[in-house]
Amino acid sequence: METILKINNLSKNYGNIRAIQDVSFEVKKGEVYGILGPNGSGKTTTLAVVLGILQANGGNFQWFGEPFTKQIRRRIGSLVETPNFYPYLTLWENLKIVAKIKDAPEDDINYALGVANLLKRKHTNFGHLSLGMKQRMSMASVLIGNPEVLVLDEPTNGLDPEGFAEVRHIIQAQAQEGKTIILASHILDEVEKVCSHAAILKSGELIANGKVGELLSTDETVYIQAEKLGELMVLIQDSDLATNVYKEEEDLAVVLKSIYKPTDLSKFCYEKGYPLSKIVVKKQSLEDQFLQLVK
Amino acid sequence: MKKLFTLERIKALSYPAFKTLMIIHFVLFFLVVLVVSRWHITVPGFSIKGLYQFPNIWTFFPWVASWFNIFLTIVLITLVGNEFSFRTFRQNVIDGLSRSDLITGKLLFIFTIAIYTFMMVLIAVLIFGLINTKDITFNMMLDHSYLLFVYFIQAIGYMTLGLLFAMLFRNTALSIILFILYFPVEGIIRLFFKQEARRFFPLKIISNLTPRPEVLTMASETDYTGPTGTSQLDFSEIGILPEELPLGLTVLIATGYIGFFIAISIILINKRNL
Repeated sequence: METILKINNLSKNYGNIRAIQDVSFEVKKGEVYGILGPNGSGKTTTLAVVLGILQANGGNFQWFGEPFTKQIRRRIGSLVETPNFYPYLTLWENLKIVAKIKDAPEDDINYALGVANLLKRKHTNFGHLSLGMKQRMSMASVLIGNPEVLVLDEPTNGLDPEGFAEVRHIIQAQAQEGKTIILASHILDEVEKVCSHAAILKSGELIANGKVGELLSTDETVYIQAEKLGELMVLIQDSDLATNVYKEEEDLAVVLKSIYKPTDLSKFCYEKGYPLSKIVVKKQSLEDQFLQLVK
Repeated sequence: MKKLFTLERIKALSYPAFKTLMIIHFVLFFLVVLVVSRWHITVPGFSIKGLYQFPNIWTFFPWVASWFNIFLTIVLITLVGNEFSFRTFRQNVIDGLSRSDLITGKLLFIFTIAIYTFMMVLIAVLIFGLINTKDITFNMMLDHSYLLFVYFIQAIGYMTLGLLFAMLFRNTALSIILFILYFPVEGIIRLFFKQEARRFFPLKIISNLTPRPEVLTMASETDYTGPTGTSQLDFSEIGILPEELPLGLTVLIATGYIGFFIAISIILINKRNL
């Protein structure tokens, strides 16, 4: 499958502050790729560098297997951080500027406003829009010129649930049309519902990447108690049973591999001479797993 | 180029502050030249009408208009400052413009505004000059008309300096305040230099492109103009006017300063984060 974006050991500093460090990942054609991480993890910086807004201090990146150029930029529709438009211009005038820059036909403006459900507001000044409308306006501008790739940084930022759903619907519709989408977000639910693949950033470093289903699986977590919990923890860690074992208050939390069941764990402990005094099974939420990853 | 021009046109013409400042600029200029034309000098032998006749009008009108270049520069700083405040420079780059395009667009804007003010003064010169000059000849009409082109360079000079301030400080209010403050600041700095060196400072050079008209000579009803077309009353000699650089050299140095302001602006936009 064609590689759309390849990032190699990308680094960016703001003075002495390290924003991203040696970040590498690839986005393939047709993927909806999430860049997930808490605030300040380097998501926006990563996108700003690959869009040529910021200069990298190290590493490199390629779009469509080529260095980033003005021509390549036109194949990408981007929304970075807050919507940046001229508040004194109407939506139509603002999008006319975008269309001019992208050498796109003016017909695209009405199409984009239609998709973003803003056609009736085309003669309203951008400064008079609500936050949700501004975010939808950003989505409209991204669609001008029918780009192959959409790069969206926190597209649902500050939206109410209705606005969130509307923007998500637009993204999903574009994904169904076969567009490659790169979506940065700190909202796990957003990434889970929309993305096929994801990279997780923490303090500017890439800590995991791959398919969303594999990164954030809904494996069962078994909370157990027994005598000599420390020894049992080492035994379980050395076994093939679990993907993760950690102490949580008085319990030992064991994230079982999907092929094992809690009864397998109970049997293992009993056979090793550590009969369990408590066993509680919980499905670990995606949020728990994400927080664990970025802890 | 055409695309960049269109972009600047959309950005400027729909901006209320742009329209207001341009109207103020236009009205103030015509108001000043109209009001001054109505003045009556009570000194016998002198009439204000001399300033409104060819060829004196080619000196007087660009000099009056030069005072209003500050409006044009404020318009320019406002528009560039807005690009930083609204983060639209950043968005324009995201959408596909290069950083060089951003500067080129603003230079096109400066050029267009300079053409506008050139045309404004030209029309005013023709209207007032034709009304007030008796026994007009074509040669008389064109004499000293090159001063209008020098005024054009001056307008570009002020606006490129404004562009540099806007690029440096990235904030409309701060850039305008510092630009205005730069006038007295440069004046004070000049005092620390010898008379010879003072004439080479940027604002001094740019403002000297439209030198203060020799009002006493021009307003005099006695013809002091010699066969060479120059005034026989040399006020510099008696210390009324300071001796300045020749106009040709001033134009050359001013062009150098304009190039310098543009070069620094290009470096700033290429090196700094948007």
